[in-house]
Amino acid sequence: MKRYLMIAAIGAICVGLFCSLPAFNQAQAQGKKAAPAAEKITVLNPLGTAPPITVKAMAEPLSTLDGKTLYLVNTGFPNTERLLEEYKKWFQANYPKTTIVDQRTGMSNLTPALKKELEEKADAVIFALGH
Amino acid sequence: MAILAGMPKVRIHYIRGPIWAKTNEQIRKQVIEGKSPVTGKPTMAEIVEMLTKPLTAEEKQMGEIRRDRGPATYTGTAQELQKLYLEKRYTDFMPIILPTEELVDDMLKGTSHAPDEVVGRMNPGSDAGDTWTYTVKDCAVNAVMAGAKPEYFPLILAIASGNQTSINISDNGFAAAAVVNGTIRDEIGLNYDVGAVGPYAHANVAVGRAWNLISINGGNCGKIGTTYMGTVGNAQNALATIIAENEEASPFEPLAVRRSNSPAAKGYGFGNAPGGASPKYKRGDNVVTLLSGWGVLSAANWKVNAWQSLMDYPKIIKGIYEQQNPGLFGTFIILSPPIANFVKDAGFDTVEALNKYILQPDPATQADAPAAKPGARGGMGMMGGGIELIVTGSSNNNYWMAGGLRPGQAIAIDNWR
Repeated sequence: MKRYLMIAAIGAICVGLFCSLPAFNQAQAQGKKAAPAAEKITVLNPLGTAPPITVKAMAEPLSTLDGKTLYLVNTGFPNTERLLEEYKKWFQANYPKTTIVDQRTGMSNLTPALKKELEEKADAVIFALGH
Repeated sequence: MAILAGMPKVRIHYIRGPIWAKTNEQIRKQVIEGKSPVTGKPTMAEIVEMLTKPLTAEEKQMGEIRRDRGPATYTGTAQELQKLYLEKRYTDFMPIILPTEELVDDMLKGTSHAPDEVVGRMNPGSDAGDTWTYTVKDCAVNAVMAGAKPEYFPLILAIASGNQTSINISDNGFAAAAVVNGTIRDEIGLNYDVGAVGPYAHANVAVGRAWNLISINGGNCGKIGTTYMGTVGNAQNALATIIAENEEASPFEPLAVRRSNSPAAKGYGFGNAPGGASPKYKRGDNVVTLLSGWGVLSAANWKVNAWQSLMDYPKIIKGIYEQQNPGLFGTFIILSPPIANFVKDAGFDTVEALNKYILQPDPATQADAPAAKPGARGGMGMMGGGIELIVTGSSNNNYWMAGGLRPGQAIAIDNWR
């Protein structure tokens, strides 16, 4: 496995007025005696529970792209292939000493085979999300 | 997705989208030679910087991040709390029933399940975003806020147990719906007569709203910019559509029964929801089938305006199917009882027989289309292989709807009593 592997995701995420609401008489809505508007009540938090995140160590970025292998991974969203064609042309023109490798993966998963290939051969990876 | 992978700090460069349908030249000029819409930096220079700039101290941080859900309770006047819950985005922008302990306890009487039992896990859709969990009590709080009655609670819990958001993150702007079969329809007062698909009965409305609020609060869905990206949105997200089938007026078997007896009818998992074959159900069983897709109306729906001699409903349905096939969410037909009986009288005693006719290639319209098989799916998870169909509504006229919704799980409601 080469020493450095950095993953950069290139994403294209195609990415009531409520002023002084009248006090909603919920007791009335529930068929119960209404509470005075100024009376303080206690209500429950409606949120679910977010999972804890275990943060992984990020790989140290490359000091230079020269002599390195950069993978361009197409995630399969529409027109990503064309986007990566243009990335590839740009890197080849501006970083001629960098090896560019095209690959393809699923929209929301990385196959074990490609993961292994990236770990063994890539110095850096751009996962591109078109759309 | 990066959060789920333990990489919340992964370097992300945003390009000026959308890019699909653009030519290489357009992409080169607008993206490669353009600037990041977020930072304003030249696109390619920023990408190179992301690949080569040393990690910051913040990026080097590791360990576990725990998100605080805030205090267990809030105290204030009703007006203050309505404003607070709106500002915190705990609502659907409409006033709520404030969830006091007393009201939540009343709601919990609608089930035998323990308040702290985990009901489900939900994310905004397709693993985009992290997956939250919610308990019976969390669902009760949101059911109170929606204005639901305790007798609706088993249905609400059954829906929540499906792990399927009603407000999907997708930039497509997806809608959600649920079809209810069984005796519970009358038990809790679901409307399956005039206006069955609309908001014309308390049970339909409150259950749909509860699903939305559980999605917003239990699954952290529907937050623009983070967990909601619908490009133009979908009006049907205002209220998840709860449809009770008019089984008594239908010439066909109820949806849940029909699908559970069909080897080709698989549930499609969406978001965090599992797919797979339906359990076996019989008529009278209380079942809710979750659906997702574009909604109950499609662009092809203009064909309902065929009149007089053109009222060959099987042929019209076949035509709509052929226009939409294969589609991301297939073709979902909602027939009123008169139309369903027209179909039956045309010689189609079952939905399966109608599908057999629909799947026959029509040389006039399917010259270039590949032959579809029952249960088949096209590329990108697209659905083909026939229509899905329910019968509901009244008999006051010959109206119906066609849309794109694909059925997911069929869940036994009585398990949540």
